[in-house]
Amino acid sequence: MTAIQSRAFVQIQNVFKEFETEGKGAAPIPVIDGVSMEIQEGEFVVYLGPSGCGKTTLMRIVGGLETATTGEVRLGGERVTGPDRRKGMVFQAYTSFPWLTVLQNIKFGTKYRDDVSETERNEIANHYLQLVGLEDFADFYVNRISGGMRQRVAIARTLAAAPDILLMDEPFGALDAQTRDFLQEQLLEICRAERKAVIFVTHDVEEAVFLADRVFMFSARPARVIEEIDVNGAIGSERMADTKETDAFFHLRNHVRDLMRDQARAIG
Amino acid sequence: MPGTAGRGRASGSGQALGALVAYRGATGGRANLTLGIAAFVLFIAVWYLIVFTGLVTERFLPYPGVVIGTMAQLLVTESFLNDVWISVARVWGAFLLSVVAAVPIGIWMSSYRIVGALVEPIVDFIRYLPVPALVPLLIIWFGIGEASKVAVLWMGTFFQLVLLIADDAKRIPREFVETGYTLGAKPRQITRSIVLPSMLPTMVDNLRITLGWCWTWIIVAEIVAANSGIGHYIWSMRRFLKTPEVMAGILVVGIIGLLTDQAVRIAHRRLFRYL
Ligand SMILES: Nc1ncnc2c1ncn2[C@@H]1O[C@H](COP(=O)(O)OP(=O)(O)O)[C@@H](O)[C@H]1O
Ligand SMILES: [Mg+2]
Repeated sequence: MTAIQSRAFVQIQNVFKEFETEGKGAAPIPVIDGVSMEIQEGEFVVYLGPSGCGKTTLMRIVGGLETATTGEVRLGGERVTGPDRRKGMVFQAYTSFPWLTVLQNIKFGTKYRDDVSETERNEIANHYLQLVGLEDFADFYVNRISGGMRQRVAIARTLAAAPDILLMDEPFGALDAQTRDFLQEQLLEICRAERKAVIFVTHDVEEAVFLADRVFMFSARPARVIEEIDVNGAIGSERMADTKETDAFFHLRNHVRDLMRDQARAIG
Repeated sequence: MPGTAGRGRASGSGQALGALVAYRGATGGRANLTLGIAAFVLFIAVWYLIVFTGLVTERFLPYPGVVIGTMAQLLVTESFLNDVWISVARVWGAFLLSVVAAVPIGIWMSSYRIVGALVEPIVDFIRYLPVPALVPLLIIWFGIGEASKVAVLWMGTFFQLVLLIADDAKRIPREFVETGYTLGAKPRQITRSIVLPSMLPTMVDNLRITLGWCWTWIIVAEIVAANSGIGHYIWSMRRFLKTPEVMAGILVVGIIGLLTDQAVRIAHRRLFRYL
């Protein structure tokens, strides 16, 4: 079966995933149940679904950190076979390196690029340091800064590696509400400047609707796409701090929240 | 100045005492030092009393002053200093050989399942062999020259160290390694630039502890088969029942161990300021 060459940047084609379980005779656990989708360049896509449904697993398959049991993922027409610099990843757990300062962490993102000189590495690091607004903390070790700042370091480091797609797994999941709101707005600004495809995983409905161009709503495990929500169509592509107070946002959020409740009920 | 009082710098002595006796209470450097010295003083006082009251005869347990005096004299005696130097050189030589082998093998064990599966059972077996039992065998193999001493120390440390290193490497967060891949690093680059720096603080701690074991094994080796080194000195003094000299020798080993340990601790604090 040859893949149809569409022009979409990311093509997820009929992906199934089962995890083998320990123990004799134990059946494998199905986690992804036949997911297909296409994502365009510069598009911000959010995966929304109840905890444990398989969002992280699907995103890791796109990133090459996990292999699909059947089906495949193509990035720019090329089949994904493993992780590399083209698929940048930001994890929920803090991954900024404690032995490096904020600026050194960001510069680490350029370490394995062979397309830039040493001077350019420094310029790139400083550029992203400013983009995430951490100039005043450049020489701090990351154990001395807040969780929100550590996630900004991780985002800047990933961008410094110049990936084609940004994969983010609940990066703001461990942060308080205010920090979260602030980082959501900052992230949208950054993504507007970068024009990269983004897959952002969350189980927070409001976060999903606020950030996304499109939301993919997943079922409880094994994950299937229940509904694809065209957020731009419903509330427009402009997002500001007060977008969350508009009627359009409110209605869409309620609709998505109801979908989410149905799935949560399915788990029991 | 509100908010500037550091932890463990309690304002009153009552508060300081409270922190010291509290379950997992904050500790301050000065209080710790005072308590440490107090314990030493108490130890020597008890020792003194035991001899003074005649509980143990002086022939077996000399006064603390006599032992310390003997030690002071030894520390300006060239032949003894030579013994010290020889033991230190043996310990460090064998220790470094152990480290050079254990670090890469330990990291490979944690990085490649096949290496771990191959090496771990046999290492686990060998490390339970009592080192003193290996001494006769190692002497048969390596003679009574330097090689046999180094071999004893190496056997006594390598097999423990390699497992500790493998554990340190295994414990680094999976996301660190995955971050490396998604930034474009190859496995070797991940090992060098992510795994090693990440595990370094705990590794240095483990090296410090292992170095301490070396001093146990060197004395064993030098007592059994050597004509130099602190162990040999202690053993030969025993023959003439020179208890002060024997105890002074033991004390010197303890002091060297303590000083090395403290030096590594200080280096650790400087090196890993970011922790
Ligand atoms: N490596 C693995 N081995 C076995 N089961 C796994 C593994 N990774 C995830 N799972 C299981 O797959 C399901 C989906 O996990 P995940 O993708 O992390 O969900 P989500 O991100 O939506 O919360 C969970 O039930 C989880 O326990
Ligand atoms: Mg998840």
